Amino acid sequence: MAKLFGQFRFLVGALALALLVAMAMPASAQRNPDGSVNPTAQSVKEKQLLDALGAGGAISGRVSIPDQKSANLIHPAGRDWREFHEVTLRWIGAIAILGMLVILMAFYLIRGQVKLESGLSGRRIVRFNGFERFVHWMTATCFVILALSGLNITFGKLLLPPLIGEPAFATYAQYAKYSHNYLSFPFTIGVFCIFLMWIAGNIPNKVDVEWLKEGGGIVGDKHPPAHRFNAGQKMIYWIVVLGGTLVAASGYLLMFPFYATDIEGQQLAQIVHGVIAVLFVAAMLGHIYIGTIGMEGAFEAMGEGTVDVNWAKEHHSLWLEEENARTGPNETQRQPYPAPAE
Amino acid sequence: MKSFVLACIAAVAIAVIGGVVLSSIQEPAAEAFSTTGVRL
Repeated sequence: MAKLFGQFRFLVGALALALLVAMAMPASAQRNPDGSVNPTAQSVKEKQLLDALGAGGAISGRVSIPDQKSANLIHPAGRDWREFHEVTLRWIGAIAILGMLVILMAFYLIRGQVKLESGLSGRRIVRFNGFERFVHWMTATCFVILALSGLNITFGKLLLPPLIGEPAFATYAQYAKYSHNYLSFPFTIGVFCIFLMWIAGNIPNKVDVEWLKEGGGIVGDKHPPAHRFNAGQKMIYWIVVLGGTLVAASGYLLMFPFYATDIEGQQLAQIVHGVIAVLFVAAMLGHIYIGTIGMEGAFEAMGEGTVDVNWAKEHHSLWLEEENARTGPNETQRQPYPAPAE
Repeated sequence: MKSFVLACIAAVAIAVIGGVVLSSIQEPAAEAFSTTGVRL
């Protein structure tokens, strides 16, 4: 009896094992060779698809065209990325850009324009030569169009269709995208030229620490000494060089998709591009403010290439001394003040 | 003003050259993502 019971127990065990193997086979058939769930397998369960999504995997099928990426039906990480560019990036951009505008407006209302305290001397000194101004304006005009067309990608479909209608927005967005792609080339060349052209004057030094301690002559009434570029201008320089390099590199990864990265790399490039770009726009608003309405006489440096000697004395006294030592004070030009149309 | 105008002209010229070069070396999607046996 005991022997018969033992044989029966062996038989039940063998059957259970066979059942387990039989159940396991369909499970392996439901998976692709890379371990992801094959959604076209006959025995695939909805639960398996949901589990694959929850674990951060992908649901892939099989395609016969060369682009194997198109076999990917659902990539859950894409949801996080969509959340980023539809929600998070908009918040970062809105806070950075609107926040900067509010700060600048408040600063203008409280501090007003930084005036030339000693008045015009009537003598002018060359601040930027023709090539420097050419490179600056090429980079700047490209930046403005890149910024507007780039912001259109993030905010356009939210803000513009109610104002101009969807067909007009579609046409505008298409040409904005073309200009965004192609103006990236002169912008990148401009950033590279700026890097080479002004690197010598933009290495931080002790004078910058003192300049910052005294508020740069912008906060307060002092006029701390500065070389050709003060600490604030050096910050702008490095924002342009480093920020410009990052947006250009990430932008070219997006312009040439999947040449150098996979899908995760593409998403990362878009995140870097978007975040750096909106911070870049905010920083440039500050630069535009101080170079135009924020400081009397500042625009002429890049507009005409020359500044009044008293302006140089107040804002870049060490640079003026260096220039006088190099060329002699008589090199400064006595000339009429530029007409507003210039 | 002259620097600004020249800068704008240069920016447009470089952009156009970039566009022409890219258009000439890139494969249209209908060719890049298809085989001889596929019609898109």
